[in-house]
Amino acid sequence: MNVAFDAATAESDEALIAAYVAGDARAARALTARFGPRVFSHAYRLLQDRSEAEDVAQEALLRLWKQAPDWRAGEAKVSTWLYRVTGNLCIDRIRGKRGRASVALDAVAEPEADAPGAEDRLQTQARLSALETALAALPDRQRQALVLRHIEGMANPEIAEIMDMSVEAVESLTARGKRALAQALAGRREELGYVES
Amino acid sequence: MSKADLELHDTELDALFAEAQQATPEPSPEFMARLTAEALAEQPQRRAAVKRGGFWSEIWEAIGGAPALAGLAVAGVAGLWLGIYPPAAVTEVIWGASVASDELSPYLSFDMALALEEM
Repeated sequence: MNVAFDAATAESDEALIAAYVAGDARAARALTARFGPRVFSHAYRLLQDRSEAEDVAQEALLRLWKQAPDWRAGEAKVSTWLYRVTGNLCIDRIRGKRGRASVALDAVAEPEADAPGAEDRLQTQARLSALETALAALPDRQRQALVLRHIEGMANPEIAEIMDMSVEAVESLTARGKRALAQALAGRREELGYVES
Repeated sequence: MSKADLELHDTELDALFAEAQQATPEPSPEFMARLTAEALAEQPQRRAAVKRGGFWSEIWEAIGGAPALAGLAVAGVAGLWLGIYPPAAVTEVIWGASVASDELSPYLSFDMALALEEM
């Protein structure tokens, strides 16, 4: 199977869904290659746990396969629908887990201290880890909006559709989230490498 | 220095987001293989085919299902009808217009039949 080719196929998402329903195995592979990594990385960014992100991605795609025969063309974008399902599954998990334990950050392999560029990578890793911790401390919806806007790089109207709210509400949510994040990271300037001279 | 002074500026936050954007978490090939297998297993046409299965259903599919069976039935009835009530034109083509039924003895046509008559 050539994943890169399948993911890059020019066919639209809706055409692939129709082909999937008709029994085309190539469409099944193309849809998985196109959306599997996106759904997984979004779930990972919200949950910060590889195994949980895999569970959520698997569940989200399973729902897509079940929904495929009833998919109505032009009603919703496949990606928007998937991001919404993924976001909701993640929030359910976070809420279920809250109170039992703090969010576990994945153990990331430490780079070799003497490897070239190791210091830079350690610094980057420390920054990303601080960002993850600060994001995890935000209210669920704020975190989801910030990840969609600033890490997934989506436009506000698409986020509004995913989160089922108005564009103005998204703007307000991301602004508040950003401010909360800036405050949460205030005490970690040194760790982030942003030391004021 | 006040707490507000320590807050990250927009440009610093944006730089942090940009770094996070670059560090896209990739799924493992094993996980992707699992997702693909599940996508194939859940495909409606394939699920239906697996459920149907069996020797007779394959034969049924091979002959073309119900429409083909209807065609076979019509052809069978038509053949039976022609056998019982052959049209005159068909009889003439086969036997010739002036051939009488007693001339149709197979004995007349073969040496073996003549030999048997002499016995």
